[in-house]
Amino acid sequence: MSDTRLRGAIAVLALVGAAIAAYLTVTRALGEAPVCSTGGCEKVQSSDYAEVLGIPVALLGLLAYLTLFATALRAGPAFAAIGAGIALASLAFALYLFVVQLVVIEALCLWCLASDAVIALIAPLAVWRMAREASAGP
Amino acid sequence: MAKAKRVRAQRAAADAAKAGRRKPPPVGGAKKPPPTWAWVALALAIAGVLGLVLILASRFGADEAPKPQVTAGGELAFADETERLLDGVAQDGVAIGEPDAPVTLVEFADLQCPFCAQWTTEAFPAYVDEYIRTGKVRVEFRPLTFIGDDSDRGARLALAAGDQDLLWNVVELMYRNQGGENSGWVSDDFVAALGRSVPGLDVERWLADAETEAVGQTIDESGAEAQAKGINSTPSFLLGKTGGELERVEVTSLGPDGLRGPIDRLLGS
Repeated sequence: MSDTRLRGAIAVLALVGAAIAAYLTVTRALGEAPVCSTGGCEKVQSSDYAEVLGIPVALLGLLAYLTLFATALRAGPAFAAIGAGIALASLAFALYLFVVQLVVIEALCLWCLASDAVIALIAPLAVWRMAREASAGP
Repeated sequence: MAKAKRVRAQRAAADAAKAGRRKPPPVGGAKKPPPTWAWVALALAIAGVLGLVLILASRFGADEAPKPQVTAGGELAFADETERLLDGVAQDGVAIGEPDAPVTLVEFADLQCPFCAQWTTEAFPAYVDEYIRTGKVRVEFRPLTFIGDDSDRGARLALAAGDQDLLWNVVELMYRNQGGENSGWVSDDFVAALGRSVPGLDVERWLADAETEAVGQTIDESGAEAQAKGINSTPSFLLGKTGGELERVEVTSLGPDGLRGPIDRLLGS
């Protein structure tokens, strides 16, 4: 895969993730329950874990995806490293929240799982990109 | 002389050739690019610091006492879910279900009790669908207030809603939005949000009814009934044929199967 295609794949996935996070951010702001086939979205969204220091996790996710999208648009090892760092941090936080859903909240949020899947795809691509661009130099 | 000139010329040519093989000096002071490991270190530093901060901040927030969630629309969380659950189900005072249902279940519960909340969220929806909506079981609520002031205020609000045949909407919403024990979670703001979350509730009348002596007396009667039956923990249940003697029954779990056995035996299925 060429560098351009790799960055393009990350950008497209980041937009998908941003769309999911935007939907959850908006429904939360409007006080509406997300459309949810697993039945646990409202329980997860109204739990203590849905916010970090008063900031909705969905909004943090939206910011992370938009940053990943922005770093994917620019070539160079610096953007690749920042993108990989954010992707890995997001993946770690997503894994933590997945365990919280299973063990603490005992409910699964379909939209959160979809976002987890997206970041699980972005993270290895972002690391791959960083490995290629960092060894190639600026 | 000529020989010396020739030797100098040869040396100069050799130096020039040597210089030509050398890398040209840096132009404009450009720096050497960072090595690969520097970019990897940057990525790992961002990932480590950001990931750790997010997880620790999330855990810090979750360790605080639970507090009811009020949506941006001013309603309590789970308002829509509660409305869907109870939509079209008959309510009459403290009872939910058809009056001629063959089996009656009486629930003694404190609105601050976390196990009662677990019962309500994990078992009750299944009972509504399987037994109450189908006209097989009628359930009555008996509020107990042994945990503290929030229990008493909650019980008063639930019973007052019963005067409008909406007790179970209030009970459901209080359990689903239960705060920390005696943390003052049944606050004025919570009550206002609760009022907005129950469709059809006359809020002014509800708040006035919650302060009446009659409601206080009903709470006392529930406590006395519990004492007479030897009930000292919540949730506790009495079960029997409607109109007959109700017996104490122990739940095997706080999930949907907790009372299924004895109810099915009474129904003869």
